[in-house]
Amino acid sequence: MGKKITGVLLVVLMAALLLLLFGCGGKQTQPSPGSQTGQGEKKSSNLEESIKAEGKVAQLKSDDGQPLLPPLEKKEVPPRPADPSKLPEDDAMHWYDMEYSGWGVTKVNIPQSPKDGAKGKKVILIVHGDHPWTTAYIRGAKKVADAYGMELKVMSPNWNPDVQAQMVDQAIGARPDMILMIPVDAKMSVQLFRKINQAGIPVIASNTHPESEAMKYVIAWTGPDDWGQFRMLARKFAELMHYEGGYAIIQHNPGGSPFFARTYAPITELKKIAPKMELLDKQAPGFEAEKTMQVVSDWLTRFGNKLKGIILSDDSAQAIGAVEAIKNANRQDIILVAAGNSKVGMDLVKEGKLQAITYQTAEGDGAAAVKAAADWFNGHDVEPVRYLPMHIITKDDVDKFMPAQW
Amino acid sequence: MLVKSERIELNKRRTKTAGWIEKFGVYIMILVLLILGTLISNKFLTIDNLANVVHAVALLGIVAVGVTFVTYSGHFADMSVPGIIALSGMVAVDMLRYGLVVSLASGLVTGLMVGLINAFVVGKLRANPIIWTLAVAFVINGVVRWLYRGEQIYPDLKAGEKLATAFVNLARINIGGAVPITVVVFLVMVIIGQLLLTKTKFGVQLKLIGSSYEVARMTGVNVTGMVGLAFILSALAASIGGILLTSLVKIGAYYNGVGYDFRAVTAIVLGGVSLAGGKGNMIGVLGGVVVIGLLNNILTLLGVGTFSQTIVQGLVFILVVWFNTYSLRKLGKADG
Repeated sequence: MGKKITGVLLVVLMAALLLLLFGCGGKQTQPSPGSQTGQGEKKSSNLEESIKAEGKVAQLKSDDGQPLLPPLEKKEVPPRPADPSKLPEDDAMHWYDMEYSGWGVTKVNIPQSPKDGAKGKKVILIVHGDHPWTTAYIRGAKKVADAYGMELKVMSPNWNPDVQAQMVDQAIGARPDMILMIPVDAKMSVQLFRKINQAGIPVIASNTHPESEAMKYVIAWTGPDDWGQFRMLARKFAELMHYEGGYAIIQHNPGGSPFFARTYAPITELKKIAPKMELLDKQAPGFEAEKTMQVVSDWLTRFGNKLKGIILSDDSAQAIGAVEAIKNANRQDIILVAAGNSKVGMDLVKEGKLQAITYQTAEGDGAAAVKAAADWFNGHDVEPVRYLPMHIITKDDVDKFMPAQW
Repeated sequence: MLVKSERIELNKRRTKTAGWIEKFGVYIMILVLLILGTLISNKFLTIDNLANVVHAVALLGIVAVGVTFVTYSGHFADMSVPGIIALSGMVAVDMLRYGLVVSLASGLVTGLMVGLINAFVVGKLRANPIIWTLAVAFVINGVVRWLYRGEQIYPDLKAGEKLATAFVNLARINIGGAVPITVVVFLVMVIIGQLLLTKTKFGVQLKLIGSSYEVARMTGVNVTGMVGLAFILSALAASIGGILLTSLVKIGAYYNGVGYDFRAVTAIVLGGVSLAGGKGNMIGVLGGVVVIGLLNNILTLLGVGTFSQTIVQGLVFILVVWFNTYSLRKLGKADG
């Protein structure tokens, strides 16, 4: 009997709640006469305030003292070959659709900008997973959102593509003004971006590249030009290696765009600029110092003096593992370069154990995504692809980037 | 046609052979791998290469020694080890400002506290060990992220250059100028573990519990205490591994230790410890850890790619688990 009464009470309570919610919704959708003018005025003052905030946003700094939103990088886009997949893997054009993903895409069902200003807009940011890098990324995103007065809500699927799919449904249900998303899985994210697009919510992709098919559904993609950055790193690597000798690559985790960019950008670039350099092996031991240490030790046994340099996809655990293996083998002649500028990586550069690393601003990455959203709300043109600036950090300028962002 | 006594004799011999393979089979595998490696590369059978192999798996070995007690007791595995590795490492870094001794002690005590909780819940309340320790790993992960706001912590930023150097040099100490400390700790733990399993009352009782929990309980064995102690030892080993790993990577981070649970179980099963409990020894676990290292080494020397390496490792694991299950069936005791 008691259970029944509780059940009835619960149903009544839920019904009352629903009525209340619908009641509120009804009120919102029926503007009183004369409120049109008021809303128009509000819209224009909101836009003015948002555009005014742009000056403040431009002055923002990331925790390493660098400008949070430095001028964006321009990239030359060559014409697409008829069938890139038919070209050999060591030909840069084989990777055309990955490297130039987002360019020359016909957009589908992209909503028009309301041009009413970024201030007060509700934005949901779905990242790929928890990591200290992501913490810095979110920090950068929040700095820009706060400066514009935007409301930023962050969701993290912890590297699980299925959870990310559920979060997309949740985000759509919340009806935000915009969704920003770092795809966990390049392939699977196509349907997620399509779903958001079909729900009429503007969406921006960030950091890692989804498959080019997904680019049809997004306003823009913002993030590092991993391909360009790694070509730049490869040029520095070749210079340090005197354009000759055997090298090997410790790859990123398979699946995402960095795996391909950080493997094939150096391979194709080195083939072009340093034909005397020979790729000896490539392995993906993950981001564990001990596993990398074992792979590098094994390489040193297998290739001996033929191995002159190693390219790493990460300047933290992978770099530690490689440095330890090199130290154990007493092979300090080996050139080491890596991606990212974590504290560990920059300390190793300072100590002279790592010769060059890429500048990968995590805060700037998050900031760039929110800035693109704000620009869209403010009615500015948003390019389909926005690249972060590229730079190679060496012992000469590493101090400029300290303290590290993560 | 065999007479009954001949058949019994034959069965006895088969059981004896299966038992021998179970005990020392891993060393046959090591021998095969050593021959294979020598044929592949003339640099394989060198002190430097073999030392590198052991060095690379020493941390895994430290963790595996601890988990062995849990497996031996018939409680499969301690899935909370990745969490303990991360947590004890982070606490050690955080407490470094109070000195190296306090830092190390705090890291160990933190790990032991998690071990105590596991001991109580699995030992006393009889919770499913896999589900419970997995849940503990999730909780630790969440707590660590919440406590440190998702960030990683650095020894030098927490405690200054001098103490940080002392901490990060821990995992880089070479005993006698040649043997890495991680290898020494691993070997010492194998010896202590072997003594505990074979020469003490605890080892005998753990074997009985692993063989038959109910029989052990009815014969008056303090099953709660013994199972609890197995989890405490597992946590202690994981926290030693965690502190050394944190020292090696110079970062206290919640993701340190990911994958150690599964890799430790692989080494344990390769080493001949039965997943059903009550069978195996630490010398076998030492062999299992070395097999993992040698396998990776040979595959890299052969130029086998990462994906294929994972397939080969998985296949070896399946083969060993199959043999394990097969021999248990022969003995009338299936895993689980």
